[in-house]
Order: sequence, then C-alpha cells, then structure tokens
Amino acid sequence: MSDMNPAVALPGNTRATLRRNFWRGVWRVLKRKPSRMAGAIIVLAFAFMGVFGPMFYPDQLPRDDNALYAPPSWAHPFGTDFEGTDVLALVITGSQYVLLTGLVTAVITIVLGTGIGLFAGFRRGRWDSVLMRITDMKLTIPGLPLLLVLSTIWKFSSAWEMGLVLGLLGWGGVARAVRSQTLSLRERGFIEAARGLGLSTTHIIGRELLPSMAPFIAMNMLIAVTGAVYAQVGLFFLGVLPFEANNWGVMLNLAVFGGGALTTTAALPYLLAPLLAILLLTLGIVLVVDAMDEIFNPRLREE
Amino acid sequence: MTVIARRLAGHLARGLVMVLVVTTISFVIIRNIPGDPIAARYEKLIEQGMSPDQAERATAVLYGFMPKGTLWQQYVDYMTGLFTLDLGESLMTPGAQVTDVLFEATKWTVLPVLVGTLLSFLIGVMMGVYAAIKRSGKLGDVLAVSGSLLHGIPQYVLALLLGALFTTLIPILPSGGTADIMFEPGFNLDYIGSLIEHATLPVLTYALASYGGWILAMKSSVVTVLGDDFILAAELRGMKRGIIFRYIARNAILPLFTILALSLGLLFGGAIFIERIFNYPGLGLMLIDSITNRDFALMGGAFLLITVAIIIANIVADMLYTVIDPRVRSGEEVAR
Repeated sequence: MSDMNPAVALPGNTRATLRRNFWRGVWRVLKRKPSRMAGAIIVLAFAFMGVFGPMFYPDQLPRDDNALYAPPSWAHPFGTDFEGTDVLALVITGSQYVLLTGLVTAVITIVLGTGIGLFAGFRRGRWDSVLMRITDMKLTIPGLPLLLVLSTIWKFSSAWEMGLVLGLLGWGGVARAVRSQTLSLRERGFIEAARGLGLSTTHIIGRELLPSMAPFIAMNMLIAVTGAVYAQVGLFFLGVLPFEANNWGVMLNLAVFGGGALTTTAALPYLLAPLLAILLLTLGIVLVVDAMDEIFNPRLREE
Repeated sequence: MTVIARRLAGHLARGLVMVLVVTTISFVIIRNIPGDPIAARYEKLIEQGMSPDQAERATAVLYGFMPKGTLWQQYVDYMTGLFTLDLGESLMTPGAQVTDVLFEATKWTVLPVLVGTLLSFLIGVMMGVYAAIKRSGKLGDVLAVSGSLLHGIPQYVLALLLGALFTTLIPILPSGGTADIMFEPGFNLDYIGSLIEHATLPVLTYALASYGGWILAMKSSVVTVLGDDFILAAELRGMKRGIIFRYIARNAILPLFTILALSLGLLFGGAIFIERIFNYPGLGLMLIDSITNRDFALMGGAFLLITVAIIIANIVADMLYTVIDPRVRSGEEVAR
C-alpha cells in the first residue's frame, strides 16, 4: 500500500539528497553560534570518555601512596584521593557507569513514554483514562524517596540495572507530554487527510505523527540523560548503595563524608572534580538542545 | 460550591488510593529485605531468653505486624496499625514511637523549606516580571540565562558548591547541625542566633535552587498575558501604565500560585540532599538514617509522610486553582 504514496516511496537518490541537506543544515546551525559548537564538542567528548576512557587505564589507576589528598599538580591535575589515586583518572573511568546508565534510562524513558503517550492519545476513550490515571499516580509518588526505599532490597550493582530502574520510574512526564501533543496533532488537517485517504493506523502513527514529534522526543531524550545522571550520582552520593562500581557519586560521598571536604581544604579538589564533570555535561547538553531546537524548528531558522 | 465539593471528594478518594499504594510498597519491601530482619529480630529475642509469645509481641511492636502468620494477616495488621497512626517503634531511638520521631523531624524540614521557598518565590517573581518586560535587552537576557542555569543544576551540586565556598574556602558559616550545643535550647538570643546561623546555608540552597524556576515561569506567564487582548484594550483606552502593570501582574501570577503549592509538597522529599549535606535533622535525613541503620518501621513512616505531603499539596494546588480561577469554579472545562 505505502508504495503508492509518493511522499513515502522517494527514489533512492532523492532521499540521499534530503539527508545531505539535513546534515548541511545541522552544520550551518552549529557554525552560526560558537556556543553550540562548544556544546556539541563537549557532548562528543563525554561520549568518547565514556566509551574509551577505561581503556586508558587498563591495569590499575595511577596511584601515589606517598601523596594522599595531594593538591593539584602537573602529575595529578585534580589532586589525589584518600589513598593517593589520581582524581582525574577516577573521573574518567567513572564516567562509563554514569553515561551508560544515562543512555539506558533515556532509551527506556523515551520508548515507554512515547509508546504509552501515543497509544493513549490516539485511542482516547477508556484506555486513555486508565493509562493517564496510572501516569498521574506514578507522577505523585516521590521519585527519590522511592529509589531510596528500593535500595534496601535492590543494590543496583550494574549500570544496566540502574538505568532500567530509573527508566521504569521516569516515563510519566514524557507520556503526558506526548499524549497532549498527539491529541492536538490528530485534529490537524494532514492527519485527517491521511485518515480520509484510508491509510493504516501504523502508517499514520509511524509516518505522519512520529516525524512531527521527533524533535520534541529527541530533546526529551537528552533531558532524560541529564536527569538520569543527576539521579544516580545523587543516589551514590547519599551513600545508601554499596560502593561496587567506580562512580562520580561515590567520589562525592567519599570527599564529603570521608574526606571532610566541607570542613578542610585538603579534599576540595577531590570534591570539585566530579562536580565540574556534572556541570560541564549539563552545559553541553543544554547547548545541544538549544541547537536542536533550531535545526528542527524551521520557524526559528534564519537563512 | 458543589463543584468544589465534588472535586475535593474526588481528590480525597484518589489520595486514599495513593496512600494505600505507597504503604503496600513499603510493606512488600520490608517483607522482602534480604536477611529477613523481622525473623532475625524474633530469633534474637528468643535467644536472649524471651518466651516465644513475648518475643512475638516485642517484634510486632517494632514492625507493626507479627513475625509469624500468613502474608495476608501481616498485611492487614500493618494497615490497621497505620490507620490508627500506630507505625510501630523506632529502632534507632529505642522506646520512641515512629510517629513522634517523624513529627520531631518534620519541624526541621518545614521551617527552612518554607522560608527558602517563599524567599525565592518573592525574588524570582519580581525578577521574572523584569525579565519579561526587558526581554529584548541585555539585562533581561542575563536574568533569563542565569535562571535556566540555576534551574538546570541539581540541588546537591548547588549545595556542595555553596558548602565548599562558605564553610571551607571562606569559613564564615557552620558546616552542619541545627545549633551550637554550647547554647541552651530555648528562647534566648544566643540559641536563636545560632539557629539562624546554622539554617542559613540550607535556606540559601533551597532559595537558589528554586529561584531559577520562578524567574522562568513568571517570565513566560507575563509574556503570555502581555499578548492578551485586554492589555491592548487597556492601552488603547489610554490607561496609566501603573494600572496596566497591575492588570498584568495580577493575571500573570495566578498560575504560579498553583506551582507554589505543588513545589512546597515536593520539597519535603527534595530536602533529602540538602539535609544530608548540611547534617540537618529533617525528614530527608531521617529517611536516609533509617535505611542505613535498618530501621524499617521508621523508613516506611518517613516515606509515607513524604508522599502524603505531596498528595496534600496536589489537593491544595487544585483547590487554589478552583478558587482563584472563576472559569473552573463555574464548572467550565479549562484546558490546562
């Protein structure tokens, strides 16, 4: 059926051209404001660090038993921790857990949120009210206290588990937003036209509804990454989870409650390094979201 | 009035369901904790020479249900205890009722949260109006950007940065606790001064963390109202700018009151990081301490209280909306 639709069955080369134009557009948007370029570079650098970071330290982290809580120096740009381990190495190797969790959470949040929101908004009626009741309930239960309570029976030892739990707890907001978008989009002319043409529901959802929501969903995904990073670093920082993995939150906990970074200056670099990493990641993602806003929203584009 | 009553009834019913859900979660978790603390406690009491009957009762006092018996029986016991406000006894402070421990802690959460939130609400709303009016200028830009940055930074990062700045680098503020122990608690200047000194950092963090949100919300609200027809009409009639400004402010602040009510509820749970960092003995710190000390009766109670705060805030927010917005009052559906 869909082969008969000219908008769907573009000949191969036309599609390739469209794609090239898209990337050219991305490049233009990035080039116009240097801050966005910086954002993209920051995000890419973090991704690189998460994937390849641990490979720089294959055997053991650089450690200096004679320099506990050493101040920043050339050998240790962010000083050392309580047993003389290089703080920068800790941040780099710790990024894998943090970023992988963020990614897993974001994917689950988006898939569940979009799926449930689309279904509720498109079907309406009884399914809609049942699903939205559940969503409202989920949104009412406070997330962080629930995670803390859950931590008594679940130790979140791997990044995958942590991402799974955060994702399962986090889809409520996206579901609500996608539902309201669906409700307004389905009354628009182009959807009505598609329905009038007798196109299948899968076609309408996959080819008409989803593409118009894609930018919104993509931005939510990036925001979900930051949310997941904050949540898990916070959980480890509070110290209710066993310190199995190397993680920024564990560093913060040891710096504040072990090293007394809030009373003596010695452990201060140890505290500030993971904080700086979180702030940089936030900054990068905020700047990229700003750029995406313009890439996907033609009205904001100044030619 | 009937509309309001009907809405309130619906809210209360839903709130009750939520309480049931949350307590069931607590019950299931307490039952499934590895190492079964309930059975362990029971065995230990038997070992100490208690008779099985006594040991059973002593354990029930702690956890709100008997260590032996069917799951369903335990669940019913736990729930009936709950509805008579009997949450068992706290393990951390032997002999103290969980409810008493919780109310003592609530005091330390509510006061700083209230002061911090109201402070940031007042300042944030004023700055938001300013940012909206000057939105094409440099200063408006700076306000909006600083707002989004503060809004984006997680609370604990802000708390740690402020803590590092004011207790380590420039040590002018105490790093934790509620007051110096050398002062006699009571109504004397030394003690109150010490209280204020210790509350400064928590309050400042609450205020700064929520301030960004207020600026952004008020700015967008004012911008929306500025585009409304009645403002244009007022301008065309040649009304004084001061009066027009009052029109704008009154209409723009309406939706913010609902957010204010909601955020007060959320802050009960959100205070966890700040209380942990500044060692402030509120509800959040209580929740963490109960988990690390395996005091599960207290944990269930704290979790319940935090959720109830949010439910009540939701109801208040909706009622507030009903009272201020005449369209809702008359039963008209309003797209929100």
